[in-house]
This record gives sequence, C-alpha cells and structure tokens, in this order.
Amino acid sequence: MSSLANRGTAITPRPGAGNRRPSAEHRRRYLPLLHRIAGINVLLVIAAVGVTIVVLAPGRLSTLARSEEAAVVLAAVAFVVVANVLLLRRVVGPVQSLTAFARQVDYSNLGQRVAGAEPTSEAGELALTFNEMLTRLEAERRESTGRVLRAQEAERLRIAQELHDQVGQELTAVLLGLSRVTARVPESVREDALSVQDAVRHSLEDVRRIAVELRPEALDDLGLASALAVLCERFSGQLDLDVVPYIAPDLPSLPTEVELVVYRVAQEALTNVARHSASSRAELTLMHTGNLLVLRIGDYGLGLPVGGVPGTGMRGMQERAALIGARLTIGNRREGPGCEVRLEAPLGDPR
Amino acid sequence: MTSTAAPPTADWAKFRDDPLARTRVLVVDDHAAVRAGLRELLADEADFEVVAAVATAEDGIEVAEHEPIDVAVIDYQLGGRNGLWLSRKLKRLPERPAVLIYSAYTDGVLAAAAVVAEADAIVSKGKVGSELCHAVRRVAAGRRELPRLPPRLADSLRRRLDHEEQAIFGMLLAGLEPPEVAMTLGVSQAVLESRLCELLRRLEGLPAAPSA
Repeated sequence: MSSLANRGTAITPRPGAGNRRPSAEHRRRYLPLLHRIAGINVLLVIAAVGVTIVVLAPGRLSTLARSEEAAVVLAAVAFVVVANVLLLRRVVGPVQSLTAFARQVDYSNLGQRVAGAEPTSEAGELALTFNEMLTRLEAERRESTGRVLRAQEAERLRIAQELHDQVGQELTAVLLGLSRVTARVPESVREDALSVQDAVRHSLEDVRRIAVELRPEALDDLGLASALAVLCERFSGQLDLDVVPYIAPDLPSLPTEVELVVYRVAQEALTNVARHSASSRAELTLMHTGNLLVLRIGDYGLGLPVGGVPGTGMRGMQERAALIGARLTIGNRREGPGCEVRLEAPLGDPR
Repeated sequence: MTSTAAPPTADWAKFRDDPLARTRVLVVDDHAAVRAGLRELLADEADFEVVAAVATAEDGIEVAEHEPIDVAVIDYQLGGRNGLWLSRKLKRLPERPAVLIYSAYTDGVLAAAAVVAEADAIVSKGKVGSELCHAVRRVAAGRRELPRLPPRLADSLRRRLDHEEQAIFGMLLAGLEPPEVAMTLGVSQAVLESRLCELLRRLEGLPAAPSA
C-alpha cells in the first residue's frame, strides 16, 4: 500500500489536522479584525480622554503630566484597552476558529461540525450556517457519489456480461474449432497449431478473470459471506496470497448496497495487500458487534509508508464507505508488522 | 479436476461398424457458435454419436425423453432453466444418462450445487477439445469426477443450510445416492425430492421459485 498516506486515524478529528496550510497566494494580506477594532478603540479612547481634558480643564494640561492624576488617567485608559481587547476576542475568536476548522474539512472527516454553533451571537450564527452548509454539501456529495458508483457498478455489470456472454463464448467456439483443426493438421505444423490453441486458451482465461473481477457473480448469486469466501479462495489460488476468512455465521441480512460496498472494500484492500505489502498471508474478518458490521483486513507485510499520499484506491474505498455511512480506517497494526483496513458500517439505518 | 484420461487406444473400426457401441451424446448450449463447435468436435470422434444439439434445458429434456442418451454435455448457464435443473430432470429418467456440466465458471459453488443435482463431472470451457472428449468417455464409463470443494467454501455454504439440509448435503458429498439418503433420513422419495430442490436453490443462490 505504498500509495497510502500514514493515516492511522483518518476519520477521527485530529488536533493537528491543519495539513492544508494557506497557500502562498492566500497568505494573509490584511490586519486582523481584532487588531483593527482594538486599535481604533484605543485611538478613540485616547482622543476622548485628551478632548475631555482639553475641554474641561484646559489650564491643567501642562501640570497633568507630572501629577498623580496622570497615572490614574493612564491606568484607566489601559484598563479600557485591555477590557476592550478581551471582549473583542470573545467576539472574534469564534470566527478565527471557524476559519481554522474550515481549512481542515475534507472527505476523510465527514460528519465533523464546528462547536458552539448557537444563534447567540453573529459568530455563532455564522458557525450555525456553516454547519448547515456542511450538512447540505455532504448530503449532495453522498448523493452524487452514490449516483456515480451506482452507474459504475451498472456499467461493470454490463461489461462483465458482455465479456462473458459474447467474447468468452466466441473464444470457446474458436477453441473448440482449433481443437478439431489441431487433431487433423500434419505433424509438421501441429506444434504451431498447439501454440495458437494455447494462446486462445490464455485469452479465454483472461477474459473470464476480468469479467469476474468486474462483477462478482457470487455476490449476486450467493450473498456476501459466500462471495467473500470465494474472493479469498481466488486470492489464495491465483495470487499466492493466503487469505484466511473468518466470517461470522450469524450475520444479519444486509441491503444490497451495503454488501456491494463491503465486497468492494475487501477486494480493493486485498488487491493492495497482494500488490504492495510483500505479505504472503492476510486475514479477512467479517462480523457484527452490537449495531455495527465490521470488516477487517489485516496483513503481515511492510506496513504503510510514512508520508505517502492517498491513492485512488484508498479514495475509492473512503467514498464507498461514506456512501453507506460507514467509517473506514487504514493504519499499521498496533501489534506486530503489517497494516489493517477496518470498515465499520452501521446496521439498521444505513445513514 | 484430474486429467488422468487413458488415451484412446481401442480399435475405432469397432465403433464405426457398430452404432450401438458408440456413445450417444446430447449437447445443450445456448450459444450457437459453441453449440456448433461442440457438435462438430464430438462428431469427429469415431466413438461418439451426437444425437442432438439444442439451446435450452426444456429442449434437452424433450430430446432425452424420446431418445436414449448416454452422456449429456450441458452448459450451466442456459437462457431459461439452467444446466443443473436439466441434470436433475435427466437423472429422473428411467435410463439415467451421465451428465457433464460444461461451464465457463467452475468454482467451488458450482461444484457443490452439481453434487446435489447429481451431475457427474464439470469441465471448464477453457479446456481444449481433447480434454473434453476424454471427460465424456470417462463419465460414459460411469466415473464421477467433480472438483473438490474447498473446505472453507464448504463451511460457508453449509451455513446457508438448516440441519437437515446439511445432513443431506453431507451425504451427497460423501457419494450416497438419493434413494439411500431418503432411507437414512426415513423420508419418502417425494419428500427428499422437494428437499433437494430447495437445497439446490439455496446453494445456487437462486430466488425462491417453483423450479421442479
């Protein structure tokens, strides 16, 4: 899984998640609101004090500088300024934290909201509307992702059927014809005929394999548990990765959409293990605890590289997970080598 | 599946001269090019006689009811009823033909269902013609060779079944014939028939529908 970043707790909010620093062209080019208002207020207070003294006691202006009254006036001014800044900070602070929050919102921490969003101040109102906007955007995103994924699955199904019903069958017919020809050709060309026959046979195998990868027939026919068992068998048989399935016998019946997401996440995770982990064995666990369906794929390989960027495979898993309201975490195993992909999908209400 | 086929060393003239000695084969495949390919391939062999090559399971049983068949070579996925349905039907005929399922996919699930449908062999469509011919000869000689069911898959399939179905499935896997199974369970043949029907449906993951 070299293409994956070190995102051990990708879903949970991270305190240091300000990984999206403002880029150079968006660097601050203004005086912060707090400084501006505080500055103006300080000037106003000083001006007001000055004007008051000038108007009420013009004759004392020269002696003021040396008297104790000057200290009192200065202390009063300082007090007003400090109080001003403290009060302003309470008003402006939420705006700043909202900015910091907005910066780190991304697909990996869906469902996170700004705290203190209550209609008790302008800043609270802003946070409230910001949260509403997030809810709306997430719903729209989920819907559009769902549409895209459903279209993708439908297209995969169509291609798989076409491959199987058309290309596969034609190749089978070619293979049968070639078998007849091979049996009759003179000895001198038999070797060539046999190698052509072998080539056709290999392409037929490829077509079948691609069709199965595109659309697991077992999932439609036998349900998730058996489809995952077949998937594990296939990895064990074809890719020299011994995948041991632990599939709980008492799984509740799941919506087709959930089954498909679980299957695809398992498929993607195992493909990553086979490609990148250098592990020769892996475990696939599917069970349910309380109101959660848990899929876990663990390997004993190299683990995740530090500082990698999430690849399309991982993004795809995240998006599929979000579609059924599930949490996906990818990280190195706490005990021992290797890494673990964990999907937790709520049972019952899928959203 | 093992390919321990004995190379045909017999005297082919015997088969040419004596039609009765030839293996009578029925071909059922819904894809025209494959059907034609199978017919020609098998017809080339001196010891085979292709009785008919049809596209659907219903046509297949129609032919078998009227003409003696030794071996039926059947695609699993047919347009309507599938190859295992036809297998069960053929095995209820007075003269039970041997059944060879010729399928694109030959995974363990099909093997499990084939056991229940009493098929005798599964041959992948990826095998070359000569291997298919050898397999036809072997089942014609009464051999049964289904791929081994991977233990983990067998476990996961068993979970789909209730206790009695598991027992039936286990006995069939062990090679018992349906009459023996019925006797062991102390049920009538008819009851066993309906249980088998349900069992097959569950193994194949087909929706509940009258399939007998």
